[in-house]
Amino acid sequence: MRLKNVLGIAALCLSFGSAQANAISQEQIIATWYKLILNLVRHTATYSPPVASRNFAYLAATAYEATASGDDHLISFAGQLQGLKNLPPREKGKAYDEALVLNTVLDQATHNFFSNTGPTGQRVLGLTSKKMASDVSNKVAADVKKRSIAYAQKLSAAVFEWSKTDGGAVVENMGFPMKYDLIKGPGHWVPTSQLRQQQAPLLPNWGKNRTFAMPASATCNLPSPPEYSEEKASEFFKQAKEVYDTKNNLTPEQKTIARFWSDDPMLSSTPPGHWIGIATEIIDRDKLPVAKSVDVLARLSFAVADGFIGCWNTKMQYDLLRPITYIKKNIDQKWETLLITPPFPEYPSGHSTQSGAAAVVLSKFFGDHFAFDDATHEGDGFKPRHFASFWDAANEAGISRMYGGIHFRPAIERGLDQGRCVGAYATQLKTVKQ
Amino acid sequence: MKLGFALLLLSVTLPAQAADNLAIPKFVEETKTSGLHSVYKGEWQYMVGGGVATFDCNGDGFPDAYIAGGENKAKLFINKSKTGGTLKFTEAKSGAEFDKVTGAYPLDVDGDGIMDLVVLRVGENKIMRGLGNCKFAEANTQWNFDGGDGWSTAFSATWEKGNTWPTLAIGNYIDRTKEMEPWGSCTDNFLLRPNAKQDGFDKPAALKPSFCALSMLFTDWNKSGTQSLRVANDREYYQGGQEQMWKMPLGKPPSLYTADEGWKFVRYWGMGIAENISMADGMPQYYVTSMADQHLLVLSDGVAKPSYKDVPFASGVSAQRPYAGGDLRPSTGWHTQFEDVNNDGLSDLFIAKGNVDKMPDFAAKDPSNLLLQNADGTFAEVGDKSGMLSFSQARGGAVADFNRDGKMDVLIVNRHENVKIWRNVSKNLGHWLDLRLSLAGANHDGIGAWIEVKHGDKIMRREITSGGGHVSGVNGFWHFGLGEQTATQIRVLWPDGVQSDWQDVSVDQSYLVSKNQAVLDLKKLQP
Repeated sequence: MRLKNVLGIAALCLSFGSAQANAISQEQIIATWYKLILNLVRHTATYSPPVASRNFAYLAATAYEATASGDDHLISFAGQLQGLKNLPPREKGKAYDEALVLNTVLDQATHNFFSNTGPTGQRVLGLTSKKMASDVSNKVAADVKKRSIAYAQKLSAAVFEWSKTDGGAVVENMGFPMKYDLIKGPGHWVPTSQLRQQQAPLLPNWGKNRTFAMPASATCNLPSPPEYSEEKASEFFKQAKEVYDTKNNLTPEQKTIARFWSDDPMLSSTPPGHWIGIATEIIDRDKLPVAKSVDVLARLSFAVADGFIGCWNTKMQYDLLRPITYIKKNIDQKWETLLITPPFPEYPSGHSTQSGAAAVVLSKFFGDHFAFDDATHEGDGFKPRHFASFWDAANEAGISRMYGGIHFRPAIERGLDQGRCVGAYATQLKTVKQ
Repeated sequence: MKLGFALLLLSVTLPAQAADNLAIPKFVEETKTSGLHSVYKGEWQYMVGGGVATFDCNGDGFPDAYIAGGENKAKLFINKSKTGGTLKFTEAKSGAEFDKVTGAYPLDVDGDGIMDLVVLRVGENKIMRGLGNCKFAEANTQWNFDGGDGWSTAFSATWEKGNTWPTLAIGNYIDRTKEMEPWGSCTDNFLLRPNAKQDGFDKPAALKPSFCALSMLFTDWNKSGTQSLRVANDREYYQGGQEQMWKMPLGKPPSLYTADEGWKFVRYWGMGIAENISMADGMPQYYVTSMADQHLLVLSDGVAKPSYKDVPFASGVSAQRPYAGGDLRPSTGWHTQFEDVNNDGLSDLFIAKGNVDKMPDFAAKDPSNLLLQNADGTFAEVGDKSGMLSFSQARGGAVADFNRDGKMDVLIVNRHENVKIWRNVSKNLGHWLDLRLSLAGANHDGIGAWIEVKHGDKIMRREITSGGGHVSGVNGFWHFGLGEQTATQIRVLWPDGVQSDWQDVSVDQSYLVSKNQAVLDLKKLQP
């Protein structure tokens, strides 16, 4: 059954109230809330890609812990993730309703991590909370209901408290510092946007945040990019010329690829949301049991979030200028990119790093040659794209940034390498008791 | 590249454009004594909208105001101000006291010389035939105007070549029935063209695709003599959308300008449109309000291509966050209008600001902007210095000379609170000229005409349009500041392509300007 069908059933249940009491399965609960949070990310200015990745990770951690605490075969992340020491236990020997626990934590986590939204988002969030709570708890015994909700609230609160100390909890001005001193000198990043807000880089301190599965933000750091030069014989000039020539001679297919992976904030669920969407499509397609669903969503989310932290750490370290800056100065003053150049330093490519990290996790979980269709952008008029493997998708996401004219090749290739390193830590987390 | 360069630090925090050399106008708020009382009320379905139609409905020359009330009924206020006096209004029964009104635009649809009114609503839109003396009668049936059942949030009108009846464009927002799935549910915008008899409208034609328009403006962007339809769309709700401009070929369905023709793929929170004609090249520029950075779009590749570059930062009109009040979160812009408020011959810029509704990413204390234009084309904020600092949750508005003293006043419509009005009490502003066009019969107010006024060795231009702003329309006198100039000349390029000769006019005067071949019949009006 396709995700849309699952969501359709969920929507029917929502529409007709509690006539089908407890008809919503845990799988449908996950599908409903994930669909909502992907929409909230798209429609909330705070949730730029790094921030979205962080919040996906905390929500996924909450959902996993809610499930694991009621499943004797699963192991808690407490003690495995950075800074997560203890989580509230369930009462031994007492009954809990798993659907109610899961729904409550997803509701709470959505409020905690995705509610910085406008009136429409608030309205949909409120309606979803109310209807889901009604449908899920309708036939649950009062004591079980009370106990399940109380536990879920405690768990959600504990994860929320853990999140507050990671360095990324407060995001102001949509992530753009009010004041920022640019580093002056050849090769350094300069703003590429005419927007006043974007005259400083997005979230310049994001690379200092606490990581999830990766030991530290610099664990997967990269060597420096090729030495900056404006000499025509230099390696740097050749890379810029490659971007220039590639963008100027794009095939229709390459243009489609660039736009398919563009994943712009406020116009999509962002790059991390794109990979979360891929995962939820597969979860639905293959009818994964809830224990596996929360497992893969958690690992994927941690890997992607760590990817952004590691990537941003590297970006701010090298502070490299964007292709459009170099090309306008040294090759063609009138040159324009296909995609909007993101407002932060170039090296490495964030989409490449996080896509590499995602591919590592998903390949480990589903297999190296796992084929799938990616229908993320159907609503925006893009046909689903077929991929023979997760690495096929990650590589395409990477090269899309050159097609778009916003990254040099080393940022893409080394970004994918960085993702390989980052993703490995999420795959090493222990979830199932041996 | 290696670290270790000597780090020379360059602050990107730039000072605001200096306003010291500008003639800063002085405004006094007169809301409490004005007699205006209208609150734009309502929750989700009224998070956008809140407009005002400003026009003279009783022929006394003073602009009256029809104000949207959302869940409250819309009200018409008759202007009782005296020339140069305090601003006074009296509420009057008009026949247009509808609820669910989001905004309105004045338009003499049937060319009888009496202003009609297009009323945008959450629900059926209304077209109100002016009966004179500020009375209106619904004409949906008589004029075969299909009011639909949408959430209407944008409007513009034009007279296509050869037509004696206008073409209307109505922009609609999201599908309000889709409570759980509002995103991606933009409903169709519609084009209503005249019927064969030119006495009403044909069936509406959907402008597909539609992307949740919050402002529309028929504008002759390349001075071809034919207006195109610029549409500002709210990216919050569309999928696969972008900003749009429709070509309007005579007798054929409209079609969108494409990337191959030079239209750029840009997407932002398009919320209001204001047009300004550049003194430098005589071409229209468009200010599009938004959230965070606002947008100033200037033609970049000549008249052959509708390609625009976005230059608000360089011009000092980014207005991306509040300039006062201490709330540094990004701003939310709505109605916008270029008018010369200090009569120095340079268009100034007003922006109504206000949070959508408790949006935590955006400023709660978000003052509306008044940006004065400098001689070099940049702008400087003077909202606080001029006395009209306001933190109201503004939406629509009007910059108009309500007391006919040659100085532009300001009215804003607010969500959840009363409107506000400021009188321009400046002393020693420059000279001015107010012009109102008049054509016999159809298109009585000369929509689509261009007025030119000499200002030193430059020419000030204005395209007469119906639409734009944020659900707020103005029709009446068109204002020109003249600075120290004590005499000038004007000419008009009429919608049929006839261009008048230059004719002398006196300054500090209001004229009714009528077409007489290449001559302008000029009639001085009081005051």
